[in-house]
Amino acid sequence: MKNIKLASVDGREPTVVRAGAASIGRGFAVIAGPCAVETEEQTLVTARAVKAAGADLLRGGAFKPRTSPYAFQGLGMAGLKILGQARAETGLPVVTEVLDPRDVSWVAEYADVLQIGTRNMQNFALLKEVGRAGKPVLLKRGMYSTLEEWLNCAEYILGEGNPNVVLCERGIRTFEQYTRNTLDLSAVPALRELTHLPVMVDPTHATGRPGLIGPMSRGALAVGADGIMVEVHNNPSEALCDAKQALTIDRFTDLMRGLRKLETFLAEAESEGEVTG
Amino acid sequence: MKLEDIRRKVDKIDRELLVLLHERMGLALRARRFKEEVVDEAREEAVLERAGRLKLNLVEQSFGQQLLRTIIEESKRLQGEARELVAFPGEHGSYGEVAARRLAPTAAHAPCMEYADVFTGVEEGFFDLGIVPVEHSLEGSVTQVNDLLTRTTASVVAEVNVPVSHCLMAVEMSDYRDLRVVYSHPEALAQCAGFIARHKLEPRPFYDTAGAAKMLARENPRAAAAIASPLAAEVYDLAILKEGVDDGPPGSTRFLLLAKEPRPATPGKCSIIFATAHQAGRLFDVLRLFAESDINLTRIASTPRRNDPGNYTFFLDFEGSPGEKKVARVLKELETRTIELKFLGNYPIDDVTGQKAAE
Repeated sequence: MKNIKLASVDGREPTVVRAGAASIGRGFAVIAGPCAVETEEQTLVTARAVKAAGADLLRGGAFKPRTSPYAFQGLGMAGLKILGQARAETGLPVVTEVLDPRDVSWVAEYADVLQIGTRNMQNFALLKEVGRAGKPVLLKRGMYSTLEEWLNCAEYILGEGNPNVVLCERGIRTFEQYTRNTLDLSAVPALRELTHLPVMVDPTHATGRPGLIGPMSRGALAVGADGIMVEVHNNPSEALCDAKQALTIDRFTDLMRGLRKLETFLAEAESEGEVTG
Repeated sequence: MKLEDIRRKVDKIDRELLVLLHERMGLALRARRFKEEVVDEAREEAVLERAGRLKLNLVEQSFGQQLLRTIIEESKRLQGEARELVAFPGEHGSYGEVAARRLAPTAAHAPCMEYADVFTGVEEGFFDLGIVPVEHSLEGSVTQVNDLLTRTTASVVAEVNVPVSHCLMAVEMSDYRDLRVVYSHPEALAQCAGFIARHKLEPRPFYDTAGAAKMLARENPRAAAAIASPLAAEVYDLAILKEGVDDGPPGSTRFLLLAKEPRPATPGKCSIIFATAHQAGRLFDVLRLFAESDINLTRIASTPRRNDPGNYTFFLDFEGSPGEKKVARVLKELETRTIELKFLGNYPIDDVTGQKAAE
């Protein structure tokens, strides 16, 4: 691919991104938490639960990009403070989305990883700003974007001197209506051929259906993703945002148990040379 | 303006009225030290007459005077109480006041703009007690205070470590995205330089951390924030945008409590100031005395002697009390080994470190 200079493989070692105590790019990292920070209690209860279930990082939105301007827009700064509390209590590094270039330095005060959402993948002013913020960036795939367009966006961040970029496949728009998007799992091995950056999968937004999150998470692990990002809510039916797609704490705990077993199995199979081409 | 905006302004004014009353009562207590009697009828009349000359079309003369009479009554009631008066450096809400609240919680706390005013106020009896910062855990000695300590006749009677927890604050409803400048004491600005640079703010030095908060609340300059203690945010009704904006590890400031007279000997520690002749081994002689008597030193600092350039005055804090034999012996012995010796005081140790106190 032309113009992919910093993100391309070119004989580079795979990048490992460190955020707090967690690493993305080594082993299988799990980012879990609510879609949006709603209250202190909801966030702390969920944070404790995902930590107990074995998640590596906590997600939670303080600034929400909603399709409708009348929908809940997030708690903003107050939400960031709650995330800071959850981080202090559980030790989980925090991943949270930033929407506005003017917010980047403030979100970076509380976040361990800055998330660029699918709708902002090509917001170049925002990409440059997070490139200068000194914090790792989780770059979600634009819902209509090709791999080349996506890697060009990573290039914007890397070009500002920030080497810590994680790519996250979150499904693309197709003619299919049953699922919210169509998860492009083939993007994971494809990106392995193209880039040294870690690649994660978001099965929640990709499917929009809790019943599909488990199978797609195992699929992500099997195709070699560096981790997943899942929405978990302590009371999904009352969630202020994306209520229908969050996993309950119990369901997430079960998912984690299965994933860790599968991870061990795959690691053993790989060391015995049983997983090839 | 909507009803809700009007009400917000009314609330702000009510709060300012109370903060001003607080300041006025503090001044009344200070005035008491200059008066023979609590009641001074001539002064009361002058106050009411002055108010009568002010023409405000919504504040009736009779109402204004009635209000002032009520305030004067309350001032007199406070003056009649035997409440201790403690001077602290800075405006209400400063770290000095945080120290005053810890060391003398029931006393009246009086702001002083200069360290020297705290010292002379205590020495001359206008304040019962005074608070001064003597050292920062990260920056070291407060030189101006150390210099004043060498000359004061007051005694040190207590100490306290106050955690420095700088907060970024602004008036309620202000948007952090619009902030361009930040006011604070130069030292606080320096401690938060990284934070200020990250957010592309312009640092504006101000005479006091709490003073910056006070100015913000009163004048509401555009696009401005202040860095001060959480107490300052509380006093001036400012919203804390971010806590812990200092760059380094959490630090603390050690404050001393001054009184005109020393208190009875107490287990704890002592502070002395001394100078030795400019000859080889003289300072060592002094330190050896403490080592041989098995007395633990907790602080040693030096400051140049103003009247004797090239020579130094030393500050020494050690564990023990003059009531102990070995301490009394060392103090006696010191007289012959120094060219200048001053016993600053004996007081209980504040063993709550700044960090613990913060939690």
